[in-house]
Amino acid sequence: MDALIVIFITGLISLFVGMLKKPYLTLGIIASGLVLSFCLQMNYGNYTSIFSKYDNLYFNITQLYFSEMAIGFTLLLVLGGFQYFKQDIEHTSDYLSLLLFSLCGAICLIGFTDLFMFFLGLEILSIPIYVMVGIKKQDVLSAEASLKYFFTGSFATAILLFGIALLYGATASFNLATIQEVIQSGSYSEPMLLIALLFIMAAFLFKVGAVPFHFWGPDVYQGAPDIVMAFMATVVKLAAVFAFLKLYAGTFQFLSEFWTGALNIAIILSLFLGYLSALRQTSFKRMLAYSSISNTGFALFALLTTSPSSAGSLWVFLIAYGCATIALVTISMIIHNVDDKIAAFKGIGYKNPFIGFVMIMSLLSLSGIPPLSGFFGKFLLLSNAINDHLYLVILALVSSAIGAFLYLRMIVLSLAKDPGNEVEKYPISILQYIVLGVCTVGLLGGWLIIIL
Amino acid sequence: MELLILPFVFGILSFIIPSSWSRTFGLIGAASSLMVALFHLSGFEPQTVRTIFDPNRTFPLGLSFKMGFDALGLVMILLTNGIVLLVLLSNWNREIAKNKLFTALVFLMQFGLLGVFTAQDGILFYIFWEFTLLPIFLILYWFGAKDNNPTLFKFFIYTLVGSLAMLAAFITLGSFSSSYSYEDLRQVSLPAGYACWIMSGFLLAFAIKIPLFPFHTWQPATYSSAPMAGTMLLSALMLKMALFGMIKWMLPLTAEGLECMRWPVIILGSIGIVYGALIAIKQNDIKKIFAYASISHLGLIAAGIMLYTTSAMQGAMIQIINHSLISVGLFLAADILENRTGTRKINELGGIAKLAPHYGFWFAVIVFAGLSVPFTAGFIGEFILIKEMFSFHMIIGIVAATTLVLGAVYMLRAYQVSMFGAPKLTEFQDLKWNETFVFVALTILILVIGLSSNCIIDFLEPSLSNYQVTLK
Repeated sequence: MDALIVIFITGLISLFVGMLKKPYLTLGIIASGLVLSFCLQMNYGNYTSIFSKYDNLYFNITQLYFSEMAIGFTLLLVLGGFQYFKQDIEHTSDYLSLLLFSLCGAICLIGFTDLFMFFLGLEILSIPIYVMVGIKKQDVLSAEASLKYFFTGSFATAILLFGIALLYGATASFNLATIQEVIQSGSYSEPMLLIALLFIMAAFLFKVGAVPFHFWGPDVYQGAPDIVMAFMATVVKLAAVFAFLKLYAGTFQFLSEFWTGALNIAIILSLFLGYLSALRQTSFKRMLAYSSISNTGFALFALLTTSPSSAGSLWVFLIAYGCATIALVTISMIIHNVDDKIAAFKGIGYKNPFIGFVMIMSLLSLSGIPPLSGFFGKFLLLSNAINDHLYLVILALVSSAIGAFLYLRMIVLSLAKDPGNEVEKYPISILQYIVLGVCTVGLLGGWLIIIL
Repeated sequence: MELLILPFVFGILSFIIPSSWSRTFGLIGAASSLMVALFHLSGFEPQTVRTIFDPNRTFPLGLSFKMGFDALGLVMILLTNGIVLLVLLSNWNREIAKNKLFTALVFLMQFGLLGVFTAQDGILFYIFWEFTLLPIFLILYWFGAKDNNPTLFKFFIYTLVGSLAMLAAFITLGSFSSSYSYEDLRQVSLPAGYACWIMSGFLLAFAIKIPLFPFHTWQPATYSSAPMAGTMLLSALMLKMALFGMIKWMLPLTAEGLECMRWPVIILGSIGIVYGALIAIKQNDIKKIFAYASISHLGLIAAGIMLYTTSAMQGAMIQIINHSLISVGLFLAADILENRTGTRKINELGGIAKLAPHYGFWFAVIVFAGLSVPFTAGFIGEFILIKEMFSFHMIIGIVAATTLVLGAVYMLRAYQVSMFGAPKLTEFQDLKWNETFVFVALTILILVIGLSSNCIIDFLEPSLSNYQVTLK
């Protein structure tokens, strides 16, 4: 709770500091605010919050782990994307504080205990992103992406609200604990509740970008600036998936017979459609967008079981996925991949061995090769689900082989010798070194298992 | 633990040291790993399992991360460390040895292999199994033939698909058990319907790696596009991981499924024996001859392991060691041909035995070892395996025994066409000291094992019969 307030105040301060047009000062304030909030969330055991009375947000150990992950990813993105934001010195602090406000929404979405807070969090999360997607004002793709994301997003929100209203009609409560009790006791009006469940699930599938509600994904990812794309793929996705997990594997778990069928279909379609479409892409960001659809499919495995360890598995998986995505996007920014071509990565391993190393690590982690985090994430998720959903797990492994082919092609591309170009190193700023270093540590997954 | 840490540290250090030191550094590293392994051998009780790493707690979802080895593991460790030394030595005066990346990758490969042979935890086994794929892929990619990308993709995807099937098998198996440690997995008694499927998951991984008959298509192309060291590591060590996995992991853990998978594997192995040999007879590329020969030999070993009798497994172990030694020798001989003459086509060669008598002699020794003449290790191994095949089923025994005849045909043909006849070359540089050393070392090892195979059989007996306990 305190972390949320610190982040919000940091965002406000940086808006005012922005008038001085000193980007490094803004960066310092934002970074220290994020670090402070990170530490506040860390210091759980012996620290009593000043706002502990507020019971619409509740953080136990799982929620703290997830919100720390969100804060950490945002910090990495702010550091990694600073060079991009600095170009537009008028608006640097606006962009950065918008990211922070969106992060506030993510934390609300992680800690909510009733549907008011849930809706509030979702909107606080989304609205800054609608703006951020369109910050390349001269760019047609960016404008298209912003408009498309705004319209489809609003539509999804409307459906979500409809679902929440029906849910209220069926159970007469917004509070998650009360709803769960009502469902458990069986004193609800059935068709209304079930329709509500489907509506809410549709909205969620839209927000996390799973098939069949994925069509906005590639266009928006392609149009958005690199760093905003990475924010959507990591922070937005993790908050939405966690809220999804909390509602469905928690509150609605007694109706799981009803909704798992629909979810299974969404998972299978996401797993295959994502990787298969990604195989044919030439644009780097579209490729990442499609592969993120498949990764969402993996993440949704956490919903299939109500065992308490599924949140932990999801955490490991999302750390692996997030670190890999952030590393890849940072590398794409380092090499000035403005044309957004996969071919631009050719021969990186020879030009900058360090970049090549981080890139190979992240691609291997995405394809789930041990001993990197991606393997542990997938392993934990799948082994939780294997008892009840054996066929789904086997399908997931098949799709993971397709994914491995996709990523292997990029690995080979980055190792290829390109005799045409003279070897010229790309300059890397110290901030980008920090980001890539932290991502590498996140990708070496052994430690995640031990602290779990 | 130093067994694993040593190659890993040497691997990391190899990235840092200057390139000019790398081959000396490589030899020192490989020799010291071998010394450590020999040190473990002294005073090792064959009945015991020596634990080398145990965190004493269970991590989430039953990961235990235990490591240790029994007599079988120790033999494989010794084999690995010895072969790595020989591989580095045979590359001594090639360009590749002066590249520090190569040395580093070989050490990382050794690290992964030792991990596979010492893992006492299912998932740890899988992790190391997959890990070995990365160094070998990079060795093939960086130092192999140009434009071999399609071959490498095929190799990588084939093995990865197999590994994923094994992962599925491990996860399913683990869901019946409290943890993934070897002891706990041994306790599991599987429901009838599951055992067969789990075993086929394992088998897919192993059949692709070995490779068994219909899964072999990646192998000849990969071998012939690989650099010598890559081929040696692949055929002498990586394929043995699969056979080791069959003996230690697949059969004891899923013995309930043996009945349904025994016949398919034995039949596929027998087809492989004949098929590999027949294709080898028609080949012109000497590396491809040896690649198909490898399919033929390993088909016999895999079929023998599936018999699951103690003596068949003893024969298989002898044959595993023997095949590793022979394949190092054969691929060294093939690479010497390619290195000195620039071609691997045997019909373009001839009369080399006159130009390079030492090479002719040692090549012949390895070829005869490959034919399993008496006094060599192969004789004992193949004899035991074929005898067991006969007592299992007569037809299978007869098919398996053709390996002796067909083996003689392709081996002697390869040797005769390239080494005898009218000389088509004017000069051929004879063996260098390191090559002679490798050949002599291999010959001594093959003879020693051939003459005293009882020692190895006795040494392995306790652990091999331990693997059979579950089958009543």
